Amino acid sequence: MLDTRVAQSTIDHAIALGADFAEVFVERNQVNNIATVSNQVRDIASGIDFGVGVRLAYGAKVLYGYTNRTDAEELRRIVSELAAKDRRDPAVSAQAFDFRTAADIHGAQRTLSKDSEVRDKVDYLFAADRAARAASNLISQTQGACGQREQAVEVFNSDGVHIRDTRHYIRARLQAVASNGSDQATGMQTDGGLLGWEIVETLDPKACGAEAARQALVNLSAKPCPSGRMPVVIGNGFGGVIFHEACGHLLETTSVAKKASVFHDKQGQMIANPVVNAVDDGTLEREWGSINIDDEGMPTERTQLIKDGKLVSFLADRLGAEQTGLPRTGSGRRQSYRFAPASRMRNTFIEPGTASFDDMIASIDRGVYASHMGGGSVQPGTGEFNFAVTEGYYVEDGKIRHPVKAATLISTGPDVLKQISMVGSDFALATGMCGSVSGMVPTTVGQATLKVDDILVGGNA
Amino acid sequence: MVATVEANAERVLDKVLAAGALGDLVVQEESSLSLKAHDGELEEHKVTSTRVYGVRVVKDDRAGIAYSEAADPAALDSMVEQAFVNATFSRVDPAESVATGDTILVTDDASLCPDDPTTVEAKIAAALYLERELTARDKVRNVPYNGVQDATVERHVFATTGRTAHSRDRVCSAFAYALLSDGDKDALEGVQSHTRRFDEIDTAWIVDETYQRCVAMLHGEALSSKHYDVLFDVEHQADLFAVFHDMFSAKSARDGINPLRDKVGERIAVDALTVRDAPLNADGLGYALFDDEGLPTTTTTLVDGGVLRTLVHNSATATHFDVPNTRHANRSPRGPLGVGLHQLEVAPGNVDETALTSGEYLEIVDLAGLHSGGNPVSGDFSYGAAGFLCRDGERTRPVRNITVAGNFYGMLNKIDAIGDTQHWNPERSALMARIRFADVAISG
Repeated sequence: MLDTRVAQSTIDHAIALGADFAEVFVERNQVNNIATVSNQVRDIASGIDFGVGVRLAYGAKVLYGYTNRTDAEELRRIVSELAAKDRRDPAVSAQAFDFRTAADIHGAQRTLSKDSEVRDKVDYLFAADRAARAASNLISQTQGACGQREQAVEVFNSDGVHIRDTRHYIRARLQAVASNGSDQATGMQTDGGLLGWEIVETLDPKACGAEAARQALVNLSAKPCPSGRMPVVIGNGFGGVIFHEACGHLLETTSVAKKASVFHDKQGQMIANPVVNAVDDGTLEREWGSINIDDEGMPTERTQLIKDGKLVSFLADRLGAEQTGLPRTGSGRRQSYRFAPASRMRNTFIEPGTASFDDMIASIDRGVYASHMGGGSVQPGTGEFNFAVTEGYYVEDGKIRHPVKAATLISTGPDVLKQISMVGSDFALATGMCGSVSGMVPTTVGQATLKVDDILVGGNA
Repeated sequence: MVATVEANAERVLDKVLAAGALGDLVVQEESSLSLKAHDGELEEHKVTSTRVYGVRVVKDDRAGIAYSEAADPAALDSMVEQAFVNATFSRVDPAESVATGDTILVTDDASLCPDDPTTVEAKIAAALYLERELTARDKVRNVPYNGVQDATVERHVFATTGRTAHSRDRVCSAFAYALLSDGDKDALEGVQSHTRRFDEIDTAWIVDETYQRCVAMLHGEALSSKHYDVLFDVEHQADLFAVFHDMFSAKSARDGINPLRDKVGERIAVDALTVRDAPLNADGLGYALFDDEGLPTTTTTLVDGGVLRTLVHNSATATHFDVPNTRHANRSPRGPLGVGLHQLEVAPGNVDETALTSGEYLEIVDLAGLHSGGNPVSGDFSYGAAGFLCRDGERTRPVRNITVAGNFYGMLNKIDAIGDTQHWNPERSALMARIRFADVAISG
């Protein structure tokens, strides 16, 4: 996408101005987003983002700039402006580029640049709408969305890296609204992955619509949730957001390097119940959070974070590795050329165990079964996190009693990891978007159903 | 030679007209400088500039949109063609049109984009000062989040009817969040400040206020679960209204998901509540001379004495509902035509601050999980929270690791009192009289 001579000239200029490291990140991002309401197309938006990000490092200091232009003069101007306060005699030499194409382990077929396939996507969303409405006459509305994008990236740096990759993202979802005249409630089903529209061959729009409707109807009948500290069984799939928030962000060198994570000095120590094994894996075929290479040009990898309760590794980008002495993990990610990369999660999950769902529920005198979770957030410095329950049930005397609404779970990472006492075998993954210092990136969360012995439930009862 | 924005707009709109359609074009240009410090050194120095074009075409009662970051003739032509392709799939909607009129609106640079003499060196010094001064305070472990920013956003709207509008806004900001530790206790707190001129940022205040907030919250603990009277600080009261702003959206009403869609003219809140949208209050950073269809804005009373007076409309929703357009069109270059609030106001009530803070109540100064924990369709919310238990205006103990839960639309009918003084939120985008909510569920 960028003339190699222009990239070389830019990097040479940065090194001549004394930078310890220089990088050029080029991105072309083609987007097509379809939104439906009921059985109508509300809008379709499409476009192309294109830009070049330039990163210089002087020791631990990062200078970053970007532009929509690709000419050598513009890129050299940005370098000069960034380095104006730091220029010095050259400290290192730039390596000659060693061009490589990233090995593609995902193999997308029905890609956006071939055909946006709008009619086929609209048909899928309309079929999901019909299925949702067929579930009950209380389903008053549906909103569908299908987003596809094709992100081509090219990385050059002063270590001699020159590599290209193309990522194909697809995501489809349906939200159903149930209404009884006085109250409204919602349900949502989302599917996605790192592939093209061929994902539709594995999806059933009827199942999508029925599931969204089922959740909405359950929530419409839900009672206010009891509150206080109690045991909670967290469902599989998106329930894995608990680990993402409670622990994953705290293992990114973005916070570890600043000692702004409660886990920054805990490597080799027991930080979780021994039943907990956790992984961040960028290599899972066609999964939403996967990548072939990270946004610094490094092939991604599988990183075991916690083994039998012990913290064994962090997630490190190039700068984080330099600052902490930890090995890089192919985790340097960014939303777009507008952001400098940072250590970020990919597909993050707790590995399955052997406990049975029935045993988990039976072990609870008074608690909550959170079968579906929403998003959440964390303060890495204190480890305090929260996340929302989007479908939950009150559990009493070992039995699921009735649906509850408006619940949130809060705790700290160190506490909740020790409170996970049972992990089931019904492992599943789910797609999400994660926001942090380098923008919003696709991430997968996952787990089998698990039990937390003690956590604060916020409810409205 | 690089074409001007105006020349490119003319090219785009000529192509739209030549196809027998109407259309409008939004162009957004942004430039910014941001700086962050760590361990006494500048950690990040970011200089950015970007421009994006977004076109909306309306042909045969169908609307289509497309955008491009490239501004060469081929890219702009392709963008228009793609918008027409997208339009062929959209629903037939006679309400979709392009606002009529040929007015030309331009904002005043002197008030919205003032120059000041602050140099880049002075901005770097400000970033370093924030981190250095806080790190030097007792028990501060580090200042993981800090920085200063100077950003200018230019926005152009061009329509095939001849209407044009142009604004240029500058916002300077600074923030610091410090991590304070004492034994096994820690607290991460901070503040932010936003102004039009960099030299109006009071970095010493940010340092002092951040430190005081950390100290005040350090020994906070949960409190027993029950229902309390609650006062949110101005920042989080504005955040709550922002999460549930769809309650005023005519587009959500048209989509059948706004729970207040059939309530215009009906009571939705206590008598004391009056809510306005005041885009022309130039004291705020949410000032908007025009909406994203290029139409001049005006003050809109949304809730008057507890009665919902109107939803907010763009030209399409106003046509659909056959009501006046309130000029709340909202459209980014990359997105479809929607509606949005400009600068929300909760009008002053008749209770002075002493009466507002009488007896026992919980003052909430932090909410976690704002968007994930709130559902605008149902009104239900449940958030992590921190604050202070108070009595007669005095903070009696810090409180953290609690949750606050309820239904926002229901809470509007459980307002105990509204203060007689308005305050800006830190972003200066909402002007709020403080509300005392009764009987709010708190878990600890």
